[in-house]
Parts: sequence; structure tokens; C-alpha cells
Amino acid sequence: MSGLLLATGLALPVAMLLAYLSPRLRERVPALLPLAPVPALVAALFGQGGAIVLPRALLGLSLGLDAPGAALLLGVAALLWIFAGFYASTWLRGEAGRGRFVIWWLLTLTGSIGTFMAADLVSFYLLYSVVSLAAYGLVAHDGTARAQRAGTIYMAVTVLGEAFLLMAFVFMAQATPGGSLLIRDAVAALPGSPWRAATLALLVLGFGSKMGLVPLHVWMPVAHPAAPIPASAVLSGVAVKAGVIGFIRFLPFAAVLPVWGGALTAVGFCTAFFAVAVGITQSNAKTVLAYSTVSQMGVLAAVFGMGLAAGDPGVALVAAFYAVHHLLVKGALFLAVGVAGASGGRRVWLVLLPALVLSLSLAGLPLTGGFLAKLMVKAPLGSGVVGLLGTLSSVGTALLMLHFMRLLATVTAVDATASAPVRLSGVWLAAGFAAVAVPWCVMAVLWDVAAIGMLAPGAVWSAIWPLLLGGVLAIALGRWGGRLPRVPEGDVVVVAERLATVVRARADLFVRMDEMLGQWTVAGVLLLAVAIVLGAAMLAG
Amino acid sequence: MSAATPGGFLLVLAIMLPMAGVLLALLLGGRHAERVVMALLPVSGLIAVAIAVVVWRTGAPVAYVMGGWAPPLGVVFRADGLSAAMLLTTAVVVCAIALFARPVFAAMEGVAEARAPLVFWVLLIAVWGALNAIWLGGDLFTLYVALELLTFGAMPLVCLDGQAETLRAALRYLLFALLGSALYLLGVVLLYGAYGTLDIGLLAGRVRDEPALWIAAALMTAGLIAKTALFPLHLWLPPAHAGAPAAASALLSGLVVKGSFFLIVRLWFNVMPALANPWAAQMLGVLGAAAIIFGSVLALRQARLKLLVAYSTVAQIGYLFLLFPLASNAIGPALSWNGIAWTGGVIQAMSHAVAKAAMFMAAGLIGEALGHDRIAGFGGLGRVLPMTVLAFGISGMSLMGLPPSGGFMAKAMLLAAAVGEGQWWWAVVILLGGVLAAGYVFRVLMPALAGGELALPLCATVSRRREAVVLALALCALLLGLVPVRPSEWLSQIGRVGAAQVSAP
Repeated sequence: MSGLLLATGLALPVAMLLAYLSPRLRERVPALLPLAPVPALVAALFGQGGAIVLPRALLGLSLGLDAPGAALLLGVAALLWIFAGFYASTWLRGEAGRGRFVIWWLLTLTGSIGTFMAADLVSFYLLYSVVSLAAYGLVAHDGTARAQRAGTIYMAVTVLGEAFLLMAFVFMAQATPGGSLLIRDAVAALPGSPWRAATLALLVLGFGSKMGLVPLHVWMPVAHPAAPIPASAVLSGVAVKAGVIGFIRFLPFAAVLPVWGGALTAVGFCTAFFAVAVGITQSNAKTVLAYSTVSQMGVLAAVFGMGLAAGDPGVALVAAFYAVHHLLVKGALFLAVGVAGASGGRRVWLVLLPALVLSLSLAGLPLTGGFLAKLMVKAPLGSGVVGLLGTLSSVGTALLMLHFMRLLATVTAVDATASAPVRLSGVWLAAGFAAVAVPWCVMAVLWDVAAIGMLAPGAVWSAIWPLLLGGVLAIALGRWGGRLPRVPEGDVVVVAERLATVVRARADLFVRMDEMLGQWTVAGVLLLAVAIVLGAAMLAG
Repeated sequence: MSAATPGGFLLVLAIMLPMAGVLLALLLGGRHAERVVMALLPVSGLIAVAIAVVVWRTGAPVAYVMGGWAPPLGVVFRADGLSAAMLLTTAVVVCAIALFARPVFAAMEGVAEARAPLVFWVLLIAVWGALNAIWLGGDLFTLYVALELLTFGAMPLVCLDGQAETLRAALRYLLFALLGSALYLLGVVLLYGAYGTLDIGLLAGRVRDEPALWIAAALMTAGLIAKTALFPLHLWLPPAHAGAPAAASALLSGLVVKGSFFLIVRLWFNVMPALANPWAAQMLGVLGAAAIIFGSVLALRQARLKLLVAYSTVAQIGYLFLLFPLASNAIGPALSWNGIAWTGGVIQAMSHAVAKAAMFMAAGLIGEALGHDRIAGFGGLGRVLPMTVLAFGISGMSLMGLPPSGGFMAKAMLLAAAVGEGQWWWAVVILLGGVLAAGYVFRVLMPALAGGELALPLCATVSRRREAVVLALALCALLLGLVPVRPSEWLSQIGRVGAAQVSAP
């Protein structure tokens, strides 16, 4: 029964996609976009522990919802998809290329929902590919030169990441006894795998590219701002979490791997601080949000790293909790950018004030979801140097998000009477509310709130001082920020693009080589050479 | 093994029907050629299906002994799992090509006979017959005849439009193919001199590890490589495949190059299965790997779509040759991986045939609709030809190796075998090839999917039915990925029956 629930979670978006092919039903689909993720939400609430293997005609997909945190991520992701769907269905009314947009939207949705539910390696790879590749359509939707460049960069990193993962999965499948392809079995066999090092490295590269770990983060600050508002919200909020669920599902937390864990933690904090450092030089609100996503995913990677080092399976659920908070806040803030752009006069405060709360929530503002999230990751990060780095990352986040707020205040409409459509404002406020309320509800369900002692003065103070320090730094940034060098969006991607130009020039060598091989004399000699070398090889053997 | 098995007559039909069709079409001439082909398609298709069913059901090769004369006196035709798979693939691709080509090469009102349509229809079935003879031939000389038939059937298809440029490409193809044939024949003569038979089954029992075999194998392999256009002997392929009409390109790129490849497989895995030399196998693998990289990079550099697709064929042929280091059991302790590599290689051959044929036909439709095939001018193509762009994308998925396509299955199996046998260097090449393939496929899809502000000017409308044919064929490439892994073992089990016979004198 609960297995069927999972299947319907995928079935509805696919059905809507098929409905879109029929000219008769086509017009109705955009208005129904917010409904598409509803079955997935239901599945997350009531389908825990369910499993189903679809018939071969339906690709033989194997779905299951038993990993810790998977149902949590699925449910909250579906929630954001619903909010963003409302926003998209309103925004699409005046949009020229809405046909394309709806198709890519539904495809990305299907893959995104699916990655949280896939139970075997092949299903996971398939659905992960769907969300990764379909998101290209959302990134490049605008068709401008900027969007196309963003799409190209996104695609390059994505395809690379897919290749890493494919190899990792092949290694895992080989190391699993009994030919089982279930992720559960594959991960259990991973610590004893003869290719453990290679597999882990490939997994970190593959999922790290999706989460935006430095230096594979380059696509995010380029791609997320290029996409239309609702698409940015789901890309930065949900699509990135395909990497998070990847780490949750595939890293062998049951084994104690201090070296790997330490390395991942280091990469995570490098990412977290690097993204803040580059983010504060940016002047586009959406770009700053993208850098904030990179930074937050860095912190999450550090949490994973510590869990791996300690061999603590409990870290998966904590990380999922941290991730869903980020998911909701980041999704809501992208919607805020859209609403702010259409609001003027006093209505601006209806955007700015809640946005400020959400922004500081990322840095752990007491009473917000972020406060809970920071509290939960304290245990895995520990109280030593790593714990201190975690707290410092909150300072960085506060600084970065206050920088974002300053930029958000400047994107508001000049016209004092301008107001965003009621539906858009409503969606934004609802999403904002959910970003605060949902973490509390989840907390109440999953953990014993009283035992954590979250409102002890010490806990509150340790959450507040990073905010204050961040605030001071933000004031300093406001005063002397002009002296900072201007870093282009995507920072090192510029270097990579220059490198690509050089490589492309080198590829001319291949073209010249092809011309040479096309000459009769050369070809004739080569034909004889192949025969002789083959004969010689056989003689030698 | 020298006795005919039930259903053996089907093999004769599979070869003779297309040949009879050729004669009939030439005899009736003119406007009737198309009708003959159309009548033949379902019948020959059903025969291919029937053979596959018999092989599947009995789990043993189907054989037919000509005139009841057992080898070495007579000639035997044999269908194993590999043959059946290729027969089916050929039937599907040829049928799709015929449906696609129908409006292009239709008999025109008031014209009794036009050169291009007559030549196309006659050669289409001639190539089909030749391919079936290659898949089924049981001795090296029959295979030589079939190979020549294939070359002479395929060559004129290159220059159907009669322009100087395509004529030059066709001549280049012909000359190189003939050089290859000569080398092959030389090897056949050596084998006959040394062992007194050309029957594959008998040869497998007689060959010894000695210079005569080595030289013969080297000559034959080199000749066949030239005909398959494996790097660095690919010079003739891009101009020939890119210059031919789309329907002919699909046939050439999808199926014809597989014919000579198939003979190398027969030679290595059926004639001398126990003697396959590890160094030579590695060398074939190296050439394959070089082809993957070289072909993909050149595909990335092309400005014209048909050339891009042609260079992609150069790259994809490379994957086929990874079969030799990965599936020849002379290397590595893990014998069971050989079977997996073998299955992966065969699925690669099948899915590339289907996907590449679909891709060339999609490229043809795009060229017809736009009047050019410059990739730079594809902005907004997705809006005017959605089905065609979708078909191109789906066949591209298979070439890239994205799930759930046949290309994914093939690559996953080859990767698994490479890892399992400890030959990880092939895995690196396979992955790199996938990334590069994604590069050249997206080079086409990106502008096509981008919403051009202006409506793209079309110089011709293409019929929805032809678009549907191409899309259906592309979907077949996708369906190959759904073939359950376990039954696909029959490919490896029945396919390698020659290997099993070595032990039995």
C-alpha cells in the first residue's frame, strides 16, 4: 500500500507530462502545476518504510523510503515544489515559452522526487540523471546569451558528475555480493570493497558537484541566477539536495573512516568560507543567494565528513534536517526576490521584514528553524576546532545574508504604487511561514524537544553572538565594501573557460591529424602497418 | 553440428528472399521496384523474428546444410544468438529506413523509371540480403562473397545524387574497401592452405598456434578494420556517410560497418577462440580507444550536422573494439566477465545500429526542412520540428550512455567487465567517450532547444509520418535498455557456441 503511494508520487508528474502532449489538455496543465507534487507529499507523510518494484515496462524502477531522512527530504521538497508551482503557474501566464518551461519543470520535478525514493543503483542513476539533465531546460529558459552560457557551464559540470557517479556505481555493484543492486546492500558492502578508495572519491566528486563543493561549485552562481524566479527557487532549494540525498544514501556511515571523513570536512569548510568570501563581492541578489547555497552545502558536507570520521549513522537524519531547513528558506528567499522586484512603497516591508528573518535564520537566529538546525549539527561537529569553524561559518552566513538583504532592498520597484500579484505575495508569505514553522514541527515529531534544552541562556547566547559579529562585519562591508575586488559570477569558472579556449585551439591538432590521415599514401601505409603490427603482436604472444 | 536443425530453411529464406527481390525488382524495373521492396519488408521481417524465436526457444544454434552436403564438402549456414540479434536489428532498421525513404524515392507521376529511386530500392534489399548472409554464413568464403556483395551494394548508395563530391567519396570508399577485401581474401587463402577447410566449425577444431594462423589472422583483421573504418583507417567514412542521402547514410552508418566488424568477431571468437592473442587483443582495444577519443573530438569540431553524426560513428565503432580485450578469455582470471563484456559489446552493436540510423534520418529531416545542416543555424528548431529533435535527443541519449537506453546497458556492462578484469584503463576511455558524446549531442540540442525569437524559416515541410518513423526507431534504441539482463545471456551463451566446440573434437 505504502509502496503504491510512492509510485503515485512519480506517476502524477509523468501523467501531467503526457497530458501536455495532448493539444486538448495542454492549456489546463500550467494551472495544475502546484498539484503535481501533492502525491509525493502524501507519500512522504504516510509511505515511510514502503517499497515497490515497478514492472519492467515502467523501467523496472525500484522505489523505497527507508533511508533515514529520505521521507523528511521528500516531504519538504514536495512542499517547496508546491509553493514554487503556485508561483510558476501565475508567472507563466504572461510567459512566451511556457510550453517548454512546463515540460522541463515536470521532468525536473519527476527526477527530483524520484531521487529521494530510488532504492536501487540503476533507478537512482536514472532519476538522478533526469533531474540533472532536465534542470538544463530551466537554467537556459530565458534564451539570452547569459542563460545559454549558464546552461553550457551547468551541463559541463553535470555531465562530468554523471560520469563520476556511473563509475562509482559500477564499482559498488561489483563489490556487492550476490549481485544485488539495492543501494542498501551496496553501501553495506562498500567498506569491504577492494575499490573502496576509488569508489568514495568518485562518490564525493559526483555528489559534490551537485552540492557545489569547491571547486565544482562553479556552475551554481552562474546557473541559479540565470533561471526564472520559480525555477531558481526549486533549483537552489531542491535540485541541489539530490547531492545531499546522495551522500545520505551512499556514504557508509556505519564504518569508521577518519581520513575520508576528515578530508570531506576540510573540503566542506573550505567551500563554506570561500563562498562567503566571494559572495560578499557580488552585486546581484540572486547570485548572492546562490553563493549562500554553496556555503550552506559546504557546512553540510562538513557534517557528513564528521559523521563519516566518527562512524555515526545518526548524522544522516541530522543532515537531512539541516538540509530541509535550507531547502525551505532558500526557496522562499528566491521567491522573495521575485516579489520584491514587483513591489513598491510600503508594501516593500511585507517582503523585506520576513526576508530578513529568513536570512538570519540561515545563520541560526533564535526561535527560527535555523536555530534548531544549528543546534542539531552541534553534536556531530563537536566542540573542538571543527565546532568553532561551524560557529564561524554562522558569522560568515550572517554577513553574507545581510549583504543579500542590502541588495534585496535595492531591487524593489521604484514606483511606490507597484504591487506584486496577490497570488505571488501570498505564495511568498506562505513559503516564508513554512520555512519557520516546518522545522519546529519536524523537530517535535523526530526528537524530544525538552531534552535538548534549546532555550537555555547559554544556547541562546551562543546563537546570538555570531549574528552580532556578522552584523558588525556587515556594517564594515557597507562602508568599505567598495574596496573589495569585483569577482565575476562563478569565480574560477572564468579560468576554466579560458582553459577551454586553449583546449579547443589544441583540438585543431586533431583536425590537422584527420586531414593527414585522409591522404591515400598515409592511409595505405597505415593499413599495412596495422597488419604488420597485429602479426608481430601475435608472434610475440 | 553438420546436420541441419528444424527451422533451418528459415536461414535460406532470410538470404534468398532479398536476393530474389533484387532480381524481381530489376526484372520488373521502373516503378515496381518500390512495390517489390514494400511487399518484401513484412515477410523478411517475420522471418528474422521467426529465426530469433527458434534460437531463443531451443537455446541452440539453427543450422542449414546446403544440399545435404556436410562441410568440408558443402556449405553450412548457422544462426547463433549473435546472428539472431543482428538479424532482428537489421530487420527493424531496414524497415524503418524503407518507410522513411518512401516519399523521397517514390515513383513520380508520368515518369516511367528514374535512376535514383530504382537504384535505391534495389540496393536497399541487396544490402539487406548481403547483411543476412554475413550474419548467417558458416564458412569464410561464403562470408567473403557476402562481404563483397555488401561493399558493391553500399558503394553506389553513397553517390546516389551523382554529384562530383559524392562520387569522389564513393570511389574512395570503394578503393579502400577493395584493399580490405584483398587482405581478407589473402588471409582466407592462407587458412585454406594450412588447414584444408574454410568452415568455421571445422577450422576451430583444426587451427594451431603457428605462424600461418597468425599471419592469416593479422591480414584478415587488418583488412576488415579498413572496411569497418576503425581509427586510423577511417578516412573514407565521414565524406561517404555525410554525403549520402539520409536514408542511405542511416543504412551505411547503422548497419553496413557492422558487417565487417561481425566478421572480425567471427574470426576471433569462433575460428580461433582459444588462440586469441592477448597482445593483439589489447592492440585492437587501443585502436578502439583512440577511435573513441579522436572521433568524438572531431565530432565536437564539426560545423555541419551530418559530418558530426558521421564522426560520431567513427567514435562509436571504437566501443565495439573494446570487446576484444574485454571478452577474449586469454586475459585475466575472471572468465565470467568475458560473457558480460560480450553481451555489452553485442548490445552496443545493436543499439548503435538503431540509434545511429535514427540520428542520421533525423539529421536528414532537419536538412530537408531547413535547406541546410549548419548547426549554428539551428536556433528554435525544437519549436518547428519537435518530434525530430526529440528523436535526435533520444538517440543521442543512447550514444551518451544515459539510462534507460541500450547504450547505457552496453556501457555499464563494458565498464563492469573492465573493472572486474582489472583492465580499468578501458573504463576511463568509456567514461571519457560518454562525456565527449554528451558534448557533441548537446552542441546540437542546445541551440535547437533554445527559444529563437524569430520563427525559423523552413524551405520545405516534412511529413509527420516520417518524423514518427524516426521517433519510433529512436524509441527502439531506448527499448533495448529494457531488455532484461538475464535473458540477454543467451546472446553470450548461444553466441559463443563455437568456443564450446573446441573441446569436442
